[in-house]
Amino acid sequence: MSSGTPVELPSALRKRRMRPSATSKRNQTFVVSLLTLCATLSIATTVGIVTILLTESFGFFSRIDLGDFLLGTEWTIGRSKNEADYKYGIWPLLLGTLRITLIAMAIAIPLGLTTAVYLSEYAPRWVRAILKPVLEILAGMPTVVLGYFAVVVITPSLLEPLGFKPYNAMAAGIAVGILCLPLVSSLAEDALQAVPRGLREAAYGLGGTRFDSVVKVVIPAAMSGIVSAFLLAFARAIGETMIVALAAGSIPTFTVDPRGPSQTMTGFIVEVFQSEDVIPGTIAYYSIYAVALTLFLLTFITTLIGQFVRRRYREAYE
Amino acid sequence: MSQGDYQVPAVDPRRAKNRHTISAIFRVVCMLVAVQAVVILIVLLTTVFVRGVDQLSWDFLTGVHRDDNPDGSGLWPAIIGSIVICLICGAAALPIGIGTAIFLEEFKPRNKALAVLHNLVQLNITNLAGVPSIVYGILGLTAFVYMFGLFGTYEANKAADLEFGAQRYYQVRTAAKTFVWIPVTDKTLRVLKIEEPIAARYPDGGDFTLNVIDRGATKPTDPTVLGQTVYRGSKASIFAKHPWHYLRLPFHKSVLSAGLTLALVVLPIVIISSQESIRAVPDTMRDAGLGLGCTRWQMVRTIVLPASIPGIMTGAILAMSRAVGEAAPLLAVMGGVVGKRNAPENLMDNAAAMPITIYNWARDDNPGFWELSATAIIVLLCLLLTMNSIAILLRYWAEKKFASR
Repeated sequence: MSSGTPVELPSALRKRRMRPSATSKRNQTFVVSLLTLCATLSIATTVGIVTILLTESFGFFSRIDLGDFLLGTEWTIGRSKNEADYKYGIWPLLLGTLRITLIAMAIAIPLGLTTAVYLSEYAPRWVRAILKPVLEILAGMPTVVLGYFAVVVITPSLLEPLGFKPYNAMAAGIAVGILCLPLVSSLAEDALQAVPRGLREAAYGLGGTRFDSVVKVVIPAAMSGIVSAFLLAFARAIGETMIVALAAGSIPTFTVDPRGPSQTMTGFIVEVFQSEDVIPGTIAYYSIYAVALTLFLLTFITTLIGQFVRRRYREAYE
Repeated sequence: MSQGDYQVPAVDPRRAKNRHTISAIFRVVCMLVAVQAVVILIVLLTTVFVRGVDQLSWDFLTGVHRDDNPDGSGLWPAIIGSIVICLICGAAALPIGIGTAIFLEEFKPRNKALAVLHNLVQLNITNLAGVPSIVYGILGLTAFVYMFGLFGTYEANKAADLEFGAQRYYQVRTAAKTFVWIPVTDKTLRVLKIEEPIAARYPDGGDFTLNVIDRGATKPTDPTVLGQTVYRGSKASIFAKHPWHYLRLPFHKSVLSAGLTLALVVLPIVIISSQESIRAVPDTMRDAGLGLGCTRWQMVRTIVLPASIPGIMTGAILAMSRAVGEAAPLLAVMGGVVGKRNAPENLMDNAAAMPITIYNWARDDNPGFWELSATAIIVLLCLLLTMNSIAILLRYWAEKKFASR
């Protein structure tokens, strides 16, 4: 190349926006730092949640005995005028939450998993084309709507004839189950579809039926994904708020009976918020944070176990 | 090949038949269970429709809530409130979420410390997606409504010490019995006594100098001049005019607090869906850009982003439709507002929102409101349906566009 002739840039590089100039490198540094800032915001959110829950619930735990909180079987905050009469046992709320969550899981897990099996192994194209959007609509249904459904349909038509009270844990549990069903089915379906065809074909090759291949090969192979789907649904059900606030009633009860009213941790928090007469600095105010901390820990641990299961027991097929 | 060469397992024909029967039954069971979802959805939609469709009318859409009268109540403030909150949420969550997704997918650092940050953010987002929305509500309450108590303790209805954008005026009645405004210079003076001509402005704009005449003096006859004249000694009292961008600290129970809180709720969803659509852009396209020698950011901006924008938008719309239906964090941040008669006028205004209104109506002692709740659900579901159809259309369009490449 003679030194006199200027090198012609490729046509793409003649565009300013593709040229590696000093300015563009400076721009890149600026943009990357901006993006890093965005990313750290998510960490700030977590730090914010944890700090707020810890520091504010300190106001609660510094005034009451931790033993009373962890072992007590009565929760009467906000029910009487006198702060001295308050009882702070978390168990009624915890039991209320677990009761509804277990009912929800008893509905969402079998129905969701079977739906996932059907979608992944059996469904013809046209059925999929109907079923998938239906599940997506159910998954995107606002929870107030499901709560309303529980109050006006599930309780009066299904449960009241059986002797259930107008507000009961069962209706809320069923509605939460409906909420979790699409979550379970879509995550479990992903897990099932990740199982390679070869494994299924091997099952058929050994003379297995479709049932054998699904139950003895595909589901076990996808187990880690399925279990982590269950755990995600579990965490979702624990934290569900509007359905229980509408359908479960607002009396914290220390029982496992699903026929009567019950209050969950989230239900209690909502009740305090909408009463609007809670003054910052009082025990009732701090109790929100203590309950929220318990709730956060429960869901956080569940999510962590889910991630652990997914990583530790994942069968990789590449 | 004779039987003797291989040990073929003996097949019991009856057992084989049984197994095929089991398989067939299992298939039917699976199908029936899967159909449950459709049945549930149909029952849900029919109930809501049957209960709510009678009250659905133009008056319902444009009316306001009345405490005593379900028939005359309407949803207008809640519709506008929901839309405003959703817009704030989108304006906050989308840039941050998409930025984070680009950071996570395109700028994987080689630097050790940054790599740790990178992994931490990724892990953190998966965990944040599982945090109950009511916990976000509590975060929003403490961080946005009270601002951690950094700007004084929170008291309802207390005027803020720190505020920006509020315009204060004294209002005074002229000799023509109309009202004019006088800009405020000293905020502490609640009432201004007018003794001499002063700069003033009409409520609908236009500056002029206010004339002062003595009581008992002859009034000017020209109505324009009369409207610019006050009696000596007239008292003007202070009031504040809040433009839409009015800000104060802390944010109190306002649409801004609510929107930002919802932004935190949907942020993980936006990030995860954006990551997926960025990941779907083939590496060959990236390599082509980098092969030209342009910087990584130029490559992302000119190649990856345009290709992944339809996917990102689809995720964004779905996240927004989640935000529109979310009630728990709003209850935490704004309380159970229902009786709000007007749409929010500025960022610091309180507002009714559709999910909160549905919740309050469903809990009302008056059964008339339960039916109204169903009507409000129909409106909410129509809005969600519209948003979802846009998302589906966008996805369809994007698939078609990329299939042709």
